[in-house]
Amino acid sequence: MIGWDAARAAPPDDSAPPAPDAKALLAHFHPDHAPDAMTALRIGPSAGAHCPAPLAQLLESHPLVQDVDLAGVPVTEADVLIIGGGGAGCVAALTAARAGARVLLVSKLRMGDGNTVMAEGGIQAAIGPDDSLQRHYADTLKAGHFKASRELVAAMVADGPAAIRWLIEEGMAFDLAPGEERIGGRLLMKRPGGATAARLLSHRDFTGLEMMRVLREAVLLTPGITVLERHPCVELLSEPGGAAAGAVLLDLERQRLVLAAAGATILATGGAGRLHFAGFPTSNHYGATADGLVLAYRLGATLREMDSFQYHPTGIAWPPHLAGTLISEAARAAGARLRNGTGARFIDELAPRDIVAAAILREIAEGRGVARDGCVGVLLDTPALEAAEPGILKTRLVTLSHLAHRAGFDPAAEPFLIRPTLHYQNGGIAIDTTGRTDVPGLFCAGEASGGLHGANRLMGNALLELVAFGRRAGTAAAEARRTPRALGLTHLAGWERALASAGIPRTRRAPILFPDYGNVDVAALLRQAA
Amino acid sequence: MRLTDPALCVGADLPAHLAAGPGGLARALEDRGAIIPAIAAAGLRGLGGAGFPTHRKWQAVAEAPGGPKWIICNGNEDEPGTFKDRFLLTHTPHLVIEGALVAALATGATRIALYVNPREAAAVAALSAAIAAWAGHALLDRVAAAIGAPVELRVVESSGLYIGGEETAAVASVAGGFPFPSLKPPFPAQSGVGGAPTLVNNVETLAQAAHVLGQRQMTGTKLYSLSGDVLRPGLHELPTTTTLRALIFEAGGGMLGGRAFKAVFTGGPSNTLLTANDLDVVLDFDALRARGSRLGTGAMIVVGEGTSILRKTAEYVGFFAANSCGQCPPCKVGTFQVARLLARIEAGHGTPHDLAALGNLAALLPGSGRCGLVDGAATVLASSLASFGDEYRAAIR
Repeated sequence: MIGWDAARAAPPDDSAPPAPDAKALLAHFHPDHAPDAMTALRIGPSAGAHCPAPLAQLLESHPLVQDVDLAGVPVTEADVLIIGGGGAGCVAALTAARAGARVLLVSKLRMGDGNTVMAEGGIQAAIGPDDSLQRHYADTLKAGHFKASRELVAAMVADGPAAIRWLIEEGMAFDLAPGEERIGGRLLMKRPGGATAARLLSHRDFTGLEMMRVLREAVLLTPGITVLERHPCVELLSEPGGAAAGAVLLDLERQRLVLAAAGATILATGGAGRLHFAGFPTSNHYGATADGLVLAYRLGATLREMDSFQYHPTGIAWPPHLAGTLISEAARAAGARLRNGTGARFIDELAPRDIVAAAILREIAEGRGVARDGCVGVLLDTPALEAAEPGILKTRLVTLSHLAHRAGFDPAAEPFLIRPTLHYQNGGIAIDTTGRTDVPGLFCAGEASGGLHGANRLMGNALLELVAFGRRAGTAAAEARRTPRALGLTHLAGWERALASAGIPRTRRAPILFPDYGNVDVAALLRQAA
Repeated sequence: MRLTDPALCVGADLPAHLAAGPGGLARALEDRGAIIPAIAAAGLRGLGGAGFPTHRKWQAVAEAPGGPKWIICNGNEDEPGTFKDRFLLTHTPHLVIEGALVAALATGATRIALYVNPREAAAVAALSAAIAAWAGHALLDRVAAAIGAPVELRVVESSGLYIGGEETAAVASVAGGFPFPSLKPPFPAQSGVGGAPTLVNNVETLAQAAHVLGQRQMTGTKLYSLSGDVLRPGLHELPTTTTLRALIFEAGGGMLGGRAFKAVFTGGPSNTLLTANDLDVVLDFDALRARGSRLGTGAMIVVGEGTSILRKTAEYVGFFAANSCGQCPPCKVGTFQVARLLARIEAGHGTPHDLAALGNLAALLPGSGRCGLVDGAATVLASSLASFGDEYRAAIR
């Protein structure tokens, strides 16, 4: 490893890096392909499929609550229960409520505390004159190494234009094309990495935040939606036949359990970044602990592509308190170089995310990384960018400059130390085009669902997915509403038999709800609540 | 040989059954007069839950005037936790039919209704195929010749309602009406389908009867429907000397996840709960009766630490309330009120007055219906209150 000062002193070498053998690079250095990174699930509907070992530990675990804990617990009834207060949950809530359903939206943190607000780049939709649904479809499948479900991708891209219209009707603002800054002006379209046409729509470099602002307001103003914040779901309820019947919630403020009874339940619980596979930092929010996957899996939902995660190449490596925080691709798109400790470029900075991330990890593994106060990474050369285009940091890369300010340095004088960060769960709970899972009465939308991105996600498709499938799941759930026959945990008996046959100790319990370095003692809360 | 011996599980294949089976029908044809004494000597009792001596029912039908007499093979089976009859009907239908034909020879009945819950589609299909295999068979002709009239075998799909398993309700259902239970007497043996003497026997009872005739003794086993918090739930055929402990910890593989044992809802679940003190009780009619409980259908719903007796009781009483036929006001209203009070307590809205009301109802309701439904609901309520009152009080916060 090369020290910070030595790396800063190394003369920059701007010659073009050699094109890598992509396959070998990914096989050797992408975290998904590291030896022992993945393990096969032993029990459950996806037994035999592979996923990261820490996730498998959670999927194959004992529940936090049991039948006896439900006696004397108050029941709240709704037609549609939505678990998760991010983008997908809010879109589903709005759709279901407008279809006449009584909606209960529950959130582990607060409404909007999710990854939706962190989406910087934008949302894809094929609305340009040179674009087509077919191209969007083909780009998405290709980026996902053809592992995505064709039906799901077709549904998502076909919903694209209508999703944008819907967002505008809800009040979301998009950047307009130069010279079109007026009501009714044309939208600004950018070409996202991996796409064959300009179809990325954005709101500056905080598109997700703008989207969430609008969704949050709409949810709060729409009659028929009840919101419960700080109510993590600790278990799904089931009927004797195995259908979903709602959820067991933990009221964090009053420290008690609440049963939410609903004939249709939508999981919109997001991803798993806070499991920090292989010790990676994450760009994800505090609540991304795979709760939805764990609960759906033990109720009988199939998972898919759980061995595929997206590592964003440019997460902050130093200072440690910002580790994992995302630096948008916009910096590299504007011309910022990646350099190793010898000052040399080592990869085409605009190659696909998985390639760039693997190349950075290769530099680190082969001793050409840079160490600063024990933090290891490579350099994102912002001073050279500023020198080439004076003023760019202040005008176009506002978020980047803001991050540097929080880190306590001047990006025009010092480069960022960056390292790949765990960014997105490409797979998830298997769904059909209406958002239904394999479990009757259980729906899923957003990052928690699987099948839309295959083995790699195209930038801008995450926001589109949550709108398209939030609306689909919301509609289907409102149609499927009915009164559950019984509220219980009958699915846990068979699950615990499977755990026992696999010899899994009872001490292993999930969902974890919060990262283990957090200050929430879930076990103590549950003791208090039971 | 056991009832569920793999050699006997031949489905609708009649030649295979006759080759492997106990040979009860052939022995019965040799001497009709010896059938009832053989059943009596073996000590066969009604395995649908009542434990009534089988030979006395058969004798009553045999002696009753009138006809043509009926036999109803009762496979309505709709109680929570019972799943033995559907196994026999699906896998050993000929053993059951053989038992029914033995009963026909003994009683002179010529109309045999195989009364099955239509939800058990596999059982209905297997029985229909099995009956087709008997059509025109020489053994069936010999039975008819011995009785002196042709024997009709038919599958009658029940209403699928729980109440339809009660014997007078089964008679009403086979006669084409709604399965309302009626007061006894008259017993079906005196006046059953269309007023004719009718023998109503459980599926397992008839299977045992075939075995008794062929082998001169019972199999010495009982079918236990084991479910709940055990490692290996399912249908277990075990010697009648089996203790509750052996059923759970040997056949059942022990408690799920090593939990502590709390209780068992037996046979229905409409009986007094068995608790940890009862683990060494032998699971037969008399030993359980001596403990104040009943074997019932042999259903054993095991409850371990971590499962709520209150919620289970509420579930079962709710089942009885939903399945009361509504003829008898104390049952219709009483089971509803008990279910409502339990649901309130379970949802966290209970008061001490609700507990007192439950205690009063448990004392008031037994014996107030034409059939035993309300008794079952009251028994399970009273028993859970007595043994697990703390769980009720804990839910009243």
